[in-house]
Amino acid sequence: MSKHSHTSPKEGKGYGKIAVAGLLATSVGLLATAGVYAGLSATATGSESVSSGTLNMTLTADGTSSGFSTFTPKMAPGDTDNVYVNVNNTGTLATASGMTLAVAGSPLNALTNGSVAGEGLTLTATQCSVAWTVATGVCSGTTTSILANTQLSALATATALSNVPSLVASTGQLAHVQFSLGLVGTETSTNGVAPGSTIQGLTAALTFTFTELQRTGVVTNQ
Amino acid sequence: MAAVLLLGVAVVPPIAGAAGLKGTATSVGHESVTSASWGVTASLTTMTFTGSTDQTSTVTNTGDVALVAESYSVTVSNPTGGPTFKVYQCAVAWVSTKCSGGAGTQVGTGSLAKNTTTTITSSTAMAVSGVLYLQVEPTGVTASTVVTISTKIAAPSQLRAAVKTNQ
Repeated sequence: MSKHSHTSPKEGKGYGKIAVAGLLATSVGLLATAGVYAGLSATATGSESVSSGTLNMTLTADGTSSGFSTFTPKMAPGDTDNVYVNVNNTGTLATASGMTLAVAGSPLNALTNGSVAGEGLTLTATQCSVAWTVATGVCSGTTTSILANTQLSALATATALSNVPSLVASTGQLAHVQFSLGLVGTETSTNGVAPGSTIQGLTAALTFTFTELQRTGVVTNQ
Repeated sequence: MAAVLLLGVAVVPPIAGAAGLKGTATSVGHESVTSASWGVTASLTTMTFTGSTDQTSTVTNTGDVALVAESYSVTVSNPTGGPTFKVYQCAVAWVSTKCSGGAGTQVGTGSLAKNTTTTITSSTAMAVSGVLYLQVEPTGVTASTVVTISTKIAAPSQLRAAVKTNQ
């Protein structure tokens, strides 16, 4: 008589419960593992918007002045060519106190290079608190010297201007500046002929270069 | 590795706010100027006298600036005898040694003796391209005598008043 192994229905149900429990345990494990990974890749987002400022400076004619241009009359010693210019801070950044000015002459000659001792062009710069009255060269406000009378040859390299804190010191400001070009000449012509080294009969195209520095960087905690 | 580190240090920017990082703005203006020239010329600068005949020279402002005065350096040679000379000027040309019928205006004072160099000055205004007429008048010439006239224009004292232009 052969033996037959039979599984009772009760026993079959027991095996099923074990299988379901195993699957559940496996699922929980997998879910727990997945949860760990999800935690490691969490993302948080914040937004900060910044804009950079601009540092711009322009030169424009002050009042009825023609500004920097061509001085048509021939200058004799003692003559003065007054030019009225607005130095404008058109950027969004304030400037640091201080500004430099360099003046280059082209072609280089005795008007600008100091080759004839004590002679040549000179420059004075004066700021007016209001626009200059160009017709008369009068400042109806307060004047401030920003450059004492200086031989142009000394301005070949950038030179610091004085009393500039109020000049383009903050955004949107402008300065009304009178630039006085003078000619110093102490030479004698003989029989209609100028000396060998002379300032006579020369032309110079002058380039005025103004340079300003931005204000000091600001640290903001917010 | 060391080279890489060194390079890394070199390219790291300095701290913000340092002077080297500040921006600068530049603006440029242009002005052109020309200087004048000044001087006068004399049509005759060397005069030889052998007698009492006056001689003339025309002075022209050849510069491009008006004058308020002119100087002349007058050299008299050293002949025998004792000649002396005077220099006169006239606004119009001399006619038969006369200035509009008169004697003209002496330039300087006194007489110019032999073997001297004297600077004499006229305070006559001269426009650009203006003309003056000089006449040298000798006295006591007994031997050939040479008078040399050299014009001198000194700045700024002999130039027109300074001009201030607002533009």
